[in-house]
Amino acid sequence: MGTILSTRAVSKRFGDVIALDDVSLEIREGEFFTIVGPSGSGKSTLLRILAGLETPAAGRVRLRDTDITDVPANRRPTCMVFQNLALFSHRTVGENIEFSQKMKGVPPHERREHALDMMRIVRLPESYYGRRVTHCSGGEQQRVALARALASDPEILFFDEPLSSIDYRLRKILEVEMKDLHRRTGKTFVYITHSLEEAMVMSDRIAIMKAGRIVQTGTPTDIYYRPANRFVAEFMGEVNVFELANGQIAELGIAAPTGATGYLAVRPEFLRKLNDGERADVRFPATVANDYMLGSRTHYHLDTGKRILVAEVAAGQAAEIIVGAKAEWGFDLSDAALLDE
Amino acid sequence: MNGRAKSLFDSLQAAWLLLVLALLYIPMISVALASLSNTRYMLFPHRTWTTDAYADALASYTTGTLHLTSFRIAVLVMVLSVVLASFGALAFARFDWRGRRAFQRFLLLPLFFPQPVLGLALLVYFTALGITPSWQTAAFAHLVWIVPVVTLVISIRLYNYDVMQEDAAFDLGATRLQVLREVTLPALAPGIVSGALFAFLLSWSNLPLSVFTSGADTTLPEWLYSRTATNYSPMVPAIAVIATAVSALVVGAAAVGLSLARGRGGAKTAA
Repeated sequence: MGTILSTRAVSKRFGDVIALDDVSLEIREGEFFTIVGPSGSGKSTLLRILAGLETPAAGRVRLRDTDITDVPANRRPTCMVFQNLALFSHRTVGENIEFSQKMKGVPPHERREHALDMMRIVRLPESYYGRRVTHCSGGEQQRVALARALASDPEILFFDEPLSSIDYRLRKILEVEMKDLHRRTGKTFVYITHSLEEAMVMSDRIAIMKAGRIVQTGTPTDIYYRPANRFVAEFMGEVNVFELANGQIAELGIAAPTGATGYLAVRPEFLRKLNDGERADVRFPATVANDYMLGSRTHYHLDTGKRILVAEVAAGQAAEIIVGAKAEWGFDLSDAALLDE
Repeated sequence: MNGRAKSLFDSLQAAWLLLVLALLYIPMISVALASLSNTRYMLFPHRTWTTDAYADALASYTTGTLHLTSFRIAVLVMVLSVVLASFGALAFARFDWRGRRAFQRFLLLPLFFPQPVLGLALLVYFTALGITPSWQTAAFAHLVWIVPVVTLVISIRLYNYDVMQEDAAFDLGATRLQVLREVTLPALAPGIVSGALFAFLLSWSNLPLSVFTSGADTTLPEWLYSRTATNYSPMVPAIAVIATAVSALVVGAAAVGLSLARGRGGAKTAA
């Protein structure tokens, strides 16, 4: 898979605020690439620069081998699905979807055929063609926005948190549909979100942004199990982070792996209650302070006397863990990640 | 019992509405009735009912000149204020610039200023600049007062306008001109129509600004005012009735034009 879209040392500032600071990234042909970051991390600005709706103060944007930094959005083979969808509110579903073709001067009957094709792809019933977009539900508007973007036949589709204002159940359905749509169209999808869950479910690769910089790029598995630093580890879900000082795992008073400095990060699912005689690289006594039932799994808060740790146990194995009981807990170093910062 | 109480309430409500309408229209009907007399004093009932006043008004050169002057001012004010107000309203809707809120307040300030004082101030200003007052300076004076009103009217219609639609259209391959024609103008259109009507009617009926700033040219309200105060004849109410008919025609034409435009839009949607 070759690179379809890349940036080199892109920077952007708004007044005194640095939105993007020396951002370089490569997006591969046909992949589902997600940029994740907290609000204010610069991800929306980056997407608008990739789409051509904003120009960078410094740095270049390339589409394959062509420099497109100065090519405006209306002449790029890309299309964006906006956060608020930005549907043309005074028009019908059909008119929205046909907009890009109308601008190109495609005759009405051809536009209509094309629009109906797009509606089939996003699974909108044909009867919606003449309906006003303001009379569609949130999920239907979402599909109209998708169909409108697809109708311009872009090589790359950008998504600016389109699911952020949608309720949980519908969002789960649309996430699955989005991934399915990506597979069926074979187009490159570039998606931004502040939700780790959304990113993990849909993406081939994820880039994590913080304060205008990309902190780490990798597959969801890479980023989840081998985070580059504490920020990524903590951003990507529950994690237990131990500081390493003077050759010891601080707070546990246990010898650290030789030569290791910085931090040790362990995901909750790797903390386990030890049976008699069971061995673990790191072991410590703890009291179960609380339990949090999450359906297929349960989270336990463990009190070691110095701090609270989080352990995750699959539903079937939770029987012998009792709130208030003291026991030996532990984890293996092969399941932990060493972080420099 | 309940049904009877309801029907009593309904008839009371209808009576109230009729009363409100009557109070609104009685003065205008009185003017129309006054125009059908031939005396220099308002007496009622008339000794003779006649349309002589209308014949005189239509024969008089003044009638045409008055209407033409007021019409020219009103049309000029309408066109300029709609253009200026549209840009102003868009600047409020689209950009979040520093001093935006303060500017919005300052823009509306002339509305609070007593119009005769504003007219006098503008006259002093024109004189200082060596400009001879005429219908053009009156139009300028009207603009000072009317542009804020029209900006307000158009802004209200743009309140729910999502400027992201312009980005979306541009991203979908539209040129800047196509964005303007396909997205911005359709969103502005209802505000522009109501703003234009406001501008025309406010200028057409304005007296306090015109009195000070129109110089040798006389507008309809100015003439009506001076002839009511001195030298009254039934020609005064007659011309008032004619002027009302003219402005009603303008509003009616605008309404017809608007529904035609809507009809065309509707036909396009159905096709």
